[in-house]
Amino acid sequence: MTWTLRFAALSVQISRRALLAGLCLMALLLAAALLAVQTGSYPLSSGQMAAVLQGRGTGIEQMILLDHRLPRIAAALGAGAAFGLAGAMFQTMLRNPLAAPDVIGFNAGASCGALAAVILTGGMMLAGAIAGAALAAALVLLLSWKDGLAPGRLILTGIGASLTLTAAADLLVSRIDPQTASDMVTWLTGSLHSRGWGDAARVWAGLALLAPVLWRLHFPLARLAMDDGIATGLGLPVSGLRLAVAGAGIVLTALAVTAAGPLPFVAFAAGPIARRLVPGGKPALLAAAAAGALMTLLADTAARMVPGVQLPAGVFTALTGAPVLLWLLLAHFRKGTL
Amino acid sequence: MTVSAFDVSPARSAASLRGLRLAGSLLGLAVLSAAALRFGFRPAGWDTVWAALTAYDPDDAAHIVIRGMRLPRLAGAVLAGAALGISGALIQGMTRNPLADPGLLGINGGAALGVVICILGFGITDPAAFVWVALGGALAASVLVFLLGGGSGASPLRLVLAGAALSALIIALTRALLLVSSQTLDVYRFWVLGGFDGIVPATLIALLPFLALGAGLAAVAAAGLNALLLGEDTARGLGVRTGLARATAGSAIVLLCGATVAMAGPIAFAGLIVPHLARWAAGPDMRWTLAFSAVFGPLLLVAADLAGRLPLFGGNMQAGVMTALIGGPVLIWMVRRNGVRSL
Repeated sequence: MTWTLRFAALSVQISRRALLAGLCLMALLLAAALLAVQTGSYPLSSGQMAAVLQGRGTGIEQMILLDHRLPRIAAALGAGAAFGLAGAMFQTMLRNPLAAPDVIGFNAGASCGALAAVILTGGMMLAGAIAGAALAAALVLLLSWKDGLAPGRLILTGIGASLTLTAAADLLVSRIDPQTASDMVTWLTGSLHSRGWGDAARVWAGLALLAPVLWRLHFPLARLAMDDGIATGLGLPVSGLRLAVAGAGIVLTALAVTAAGPLPFVAFAAGPIARRLVPGGKPALLAAAAAGALMTLLADTAARMVPGVQLPAGVFTALTGAPVLLWLLLAHFRKGTL
Repeated sequence: MTVSAFDVSPARSAASLRGLRLAGSLLGLAVLSAAALRFGFRPAGWDTVWAALTAYDPDDAAHIVIRGMRLPRLAGAVLAGAALGISGALIQGMTRNPLADPGLLGINGGAALGVVICILGFGITDPAAFVWVALGGALAASVLVFLLGGGSGASPLRLVLAGAALSALIIALTRALLLVSSQTLDVYRFWVLGGFDGIVPATLIALLPFLALGAGLAAVAAAGLNALLLGEDTARGLGVRTGLARATAGSAIVLLCGATVAMAGPIAFAGLIVPHLARWAAGPDMRWTLAFSAVFGPLLLVAADLAGRLPLFGGNMQAGVMTALIGGPVLIWMVRRNGVRSL
């Protein structure tokens, strides 16, 4: 069952299932955020939280909530949403669940870029990550381009690039002094440790700037998801469109990596989870963004719940992404769609 | 007169050419090995290398470096190269898949995960002690990748995709586990790259039986794999017990990969590149391909280990990083040139 919403010339069709899934995701996100605010090495009760928000909390409560917990949660949500969007876009475009940015080498590129920047300049990690992701993506796309982009070739090329770049990152880590190396390995696994309002603002501003582009790409992406022949027959410039989607995906990946490090498996798992919640022909970009945000936030909260050690969130996204990966592979192999 | 021209049959001349190539490669390996003993942080003269090998003087610093450090390192590189080359040739022949490689399919990763769990959980750091865990990890990963990859009749793309996904997963888990304990980070930083730095003779001796058994099984499996390359039905028609041949080859792969990972960490891509070069030199016969792989593998790894000692790479770069840096582009080139198709 679908409803049609009309605003002047614009009309949007919403299926009841999609609306229900969206509401559920929103509720889950809210619950996860509440949990994330209250847990940590200094637990805050709901009463304390309300007091701080009304301006009545003690100094330390105020500092923990406003300067540590909230920006970290905002950064986790933004980074997760960006990862989820990038993953769903690549997976839809290439019609293959393995074609997520983290599988085909963009995350490894970002890691290498950040490490190289730290070694060369002693800082500039974020700029290095963006440059590395863009370079890796350009390399993978160029090398797999042969009369257009074939998904199988792109994925294998991406895996090759990912392995080479991971080796390069390992080499770079072994060249840094042990103390910095430990920090860098934490970052390379994906961590939201000590994120401030600046990090959160950067990723959300990027998402806001990209929103109109994503809105424009959303409709042709649905045609692209069907078949090259159908998309070409409908008058779409298939290869050009793929480049545009890839460009947006790279920017999203870089944004997410600067906020949370190269978190593994979020971009990969968010799309398929969203597709399960919202079935149908359309790419479920919003649902994928919500699923990515939820995954990242829960992973970060779980990481903070382990006492005694500073675990990076990437440990938990890897642990949750793993079963999704195996399930997806089996499902696709059984249907013969991979 | 014309009779003598027909005397040399094409098969004979091809066989002698093959023999010549093998002898040439062995000579090349000998030269490279000598260079590996001579060059390093403190290069020694040829006479010193010779003296260290024939008339060892335990008080001479150069002799200690050559005999105590460079020789075990060289032996490790030769053994690991032969093991990875043979297992790569086996796995490519068995799956008829040109992109199959113990590293790419997650078998080395499985062994590494086993080892990391062993280091973390039980504090064992001696390779001879954790070789059983490495073997178990390699076995589990191989079974999983062949189940996911659709068994023996699956398409080459499916096997590689399943393997790559599995190995990505295993790498992520390995890294995550290592982060839990910061003490293991130092072990990790050097071991996980794959290299022969700091190998001791005792480790080599402890692992030698596993490698020898693996190589023996590979030799036994070669004839069966030759028939399997013609296709499942033809092989059965020729009277080959295909299940037994696969099981033998599979056990050889697990033994060779597990022992190599326990010794030198997960070295990627050697098993991908070497069999291609070996097939090019040896022709279609699996027995010769295995023999050439057992020579080309050490050539590649000794060269990689030697190149890692160049000042260009900081003087002590792990061989596994060198093979990954070469192997990734080779994989991309192969995918771009041929696409993914059966052997």
